Amino acid sequence: MNDQWTNRLSEYLDGELDNEERVALEAHLATCGSCYATLAELRQVVARAQSLADSSPSTDLWPDIRARLTPSRRAAVDRPDRLVRRRFSLTVGQLLAASIVLALLSAGGMWIGLRSTKPTVTANQNVTSPPPDYTLASAGRWRTSTDAAVTELEEALARNQGQLDTATVRVLRQNLAVIDRAIAQAQRALKRDPGSNYLNLHLANTMRQKIELLRRANALAAGQS
Amino acid sequence: MPRQVLEDTLTADSIAADTALAASGDPSAFERLYRSHVARVHTLVRRMLDADEADDVTQDVFIRAWQKLSTFRGESAFGTWLHRLAVNVVLARRKRVGVERGRFLTEDGPLDGVTGRRETPELSLDFEEALARLPAGARQVFVLHDVEGYRHDEIARMLGVVPGTSKSQLHHARMALRRHLDR
Repeated sequence: MNDQWTNRLSEYLDGELDNEERVALEAHLATCGSCYATLAELRQVVARAQSLADSSPSTDLWPDIRARLTPSRRAAVDRPDRLVRRRFSLTVGQLLAASIVLALLSAGGMWIGLRSTKPTVTANQNVTSPPPDYTLASAGRWRTSTDAAVTELEEALARNQGQLDTATVRVLRQNLAVIDRAIAQAQRALKRDPGSNYLNLHLANTMRQKIELLRRANALAAGQS
Repeated sequence: MPRQVLEDTLTADSIAADTALAASGDPSAFERLYRSHVARVHTLVRRMLDADEADDVTQDVFIRAWQKLSTFRGESAFGTWLHRLAVNVVLARRKRVGVERGRFLTEDGPLDGVTGRRETPELSLDFEEALARLPAGARQVFVLHDVEGYRHDEIARMLGVVPGTSKSQLHHARMALRRHLDR
């Protein structure tokens, strides 16, 4: 069953052969049982396709969609320049690399951080040097301004994340969760050893990672990569 | 007025009202539109792409719809507009990940995995499963033509191929799927 007409059966079925071809194929069908049977099966396939039923997703997608509906949509619509913005997404490779780096940052940082709860300031300073102007007092001020920046960037991302792929948003949230866990661990360690230069610096670095990730995500969402 | 016609009219009016409300920024109205259309969109996406992408892409479709609702002029039904939007999102997705052209068939080979299971009854696939196993190009053309009712010239434009390729893909897909008709 692979004669010259077999590959034309679908076109015949869809009425796409010209008159001459159609007459010739019908003459062939009258003598070729194999093509005749195949045509009947193809007809059944088409009928089956048209009877396929729709089915809902296994989980309710609305809560995630609702969370990404931007309230300022109408404002964006009123500005035509924003309508043509492209939707950006990170590649899977970039996202995986970011995850791995963040996981290592968190795990490695905390491993060193927990060791630093012993009174070995000299050893901690060997791991990473604080900036020249770094003091505990300046760390406190820096943290206050950083918290404000993080809040602002998170609010901006909540407004803009509709521009990002769902997959990108999901991995972004996972990465932010990793950073947040690292921040929480550093804060817990600092309660036990508030004077640790290393822990303060580690917390500052982790917060900076978070700000950088939020800034990058906002830039992607706004099309300013 | 027959009951079914009356119900259809009321449903259409309700959807039109919710569309207007959603376009003005009402999330509750948009949720009602989501509830009444999600099965159709999700099924289309699942058939056109891999099943594990369906949830994410369905979300993308509705978020995109929310963003573009103000451009909906009511010249077609909301469902038709949303369906076309979903097709565009799916095709953009395939294009972006760079598999669109690479998976178009020039020969029967990749379909063998779909057709070869017929001889092993315990491994036989139902129609939907067999459809999901088709190579992406053949699956897209089959879904767009035989399930969704697009013409070859429309499909060719959407996929960036010539109509002859669309016809060839469709025939390959049908030939593979005929072995998995419900028995």
